[in-house]
Amino acid sequence: MTIVGEMSWFCCGSAWGPCGTTGHGACGTCNSGSRQHAWPNASQACLDITRPDLCGITGMSRRTCGFQHRTTNLCNGSSVVTSIADCGPRTRSFCGERSCCGANCGSHRIVDLTPSAYSVIASLSTGLRPARVTVP
Amino acid sequence: MDTTLDRRRLFTAAVLGGATIVGATALGSLAPEEALAALAWDVEPGAVDPNFAEGRITSINGTKLFVTGSDGVFHRIQATEGTSIWKLQPTGFDSAQVGDGLYARGVRLADGMLAAESIWINIVNLEVHISAMSRNMLHMEHYGSKIIGHVVPGKTATVYNGTPAISDMSLLKVGSHVKVIGAWRPDTNEIDIATVYAAV
Repeated sequence: MTIVGEMSWFCCGSAWGPCGTTGHGACGTCNSGSRQHAWPNASQACLDITRPDLCGITGMSRRTCGFQHRTTNLCNGSSVVTSIADCGPRTRSFCGERSCCGANCGSHRIVDLTPSAYSVIASLSTGLRPARVTVP
Repeated sequence: MDTTLDRRRLFTAAVLGGATIVGATALGSLAPEEALAALAWDVEPGAVDPNFAEGRITSINGTKLFVTGSDGVFHRIQATEGTSIWKLQPTGFDSAQVGDGLYARGVRLADGMLAAESIWINIVNLEVHISAMSRNMLHMEHYGSKIIGHVVPGKTATVYNGTPAISDMSLLKVGSHVKVIGAWRPDTNEIDIATVYAAV
């Protein structure tokens, strides 16, 4: 399974500021300081919310809590392996959105990483980056 | 891998006073994106990352930040001349203040200190609905909470579908779903907006 799209980051677990209202995610284990990610097809209830199919994305397999993915930043080639801890991103809200680094582009939100994971492969201030998600 | 190890030695040496780090080193630029590309420290997927810290600054001593994590864990974070610092925009260590929130990535030293390669102060990444707009403000809803976003002239930018960032926010619409990178104003529901990402 290989999907190319956009990655972003989100906070979960104990947090400060506007993130303080978030919980530990759909899996109950999510923490900003852990190597984790949110996946749009973590359950049927999750998929009903995120609906990547509405953006024309196919092949986004059902993967449940704890399943591992490798996310590669297409801007610099670096990657990180994380485990599913939440449902998201809400892909359908950003259909058609596109991020590019030169000729390397990704369309539609496909994965959200925790700040810990995202900051391994990109600066948090970038917010969005084209990315490839694979099974390690 | 060699590069990673060299960077770790470099930051360790810098913290211990054995080296001076400037904006560019013999290892290349320390701009965040390039620097992070070299970092691939092994941490088990799902596990707590020892080379990462988050929390709020409780005190500052020289170039050391003392931070209480949101989970109650206490962190000591050492900045060096090579540390990349962001607070609404790339900035210097002097912009850090007691009460600020932060995320930091670096190298955890043997004594527990985190030698910081990057520090992001008050940074938030919010998926919101725009509920109202005015010339210098976005009123947003985030998981049922109201957030006020301040437009900062000369700094706030909008990215439409991956196009280059521009200051023109006129394509944003009330009711639309956007992602906002900004800097939280501590102990308020307000942020200063760095970048709005919108699909139009």
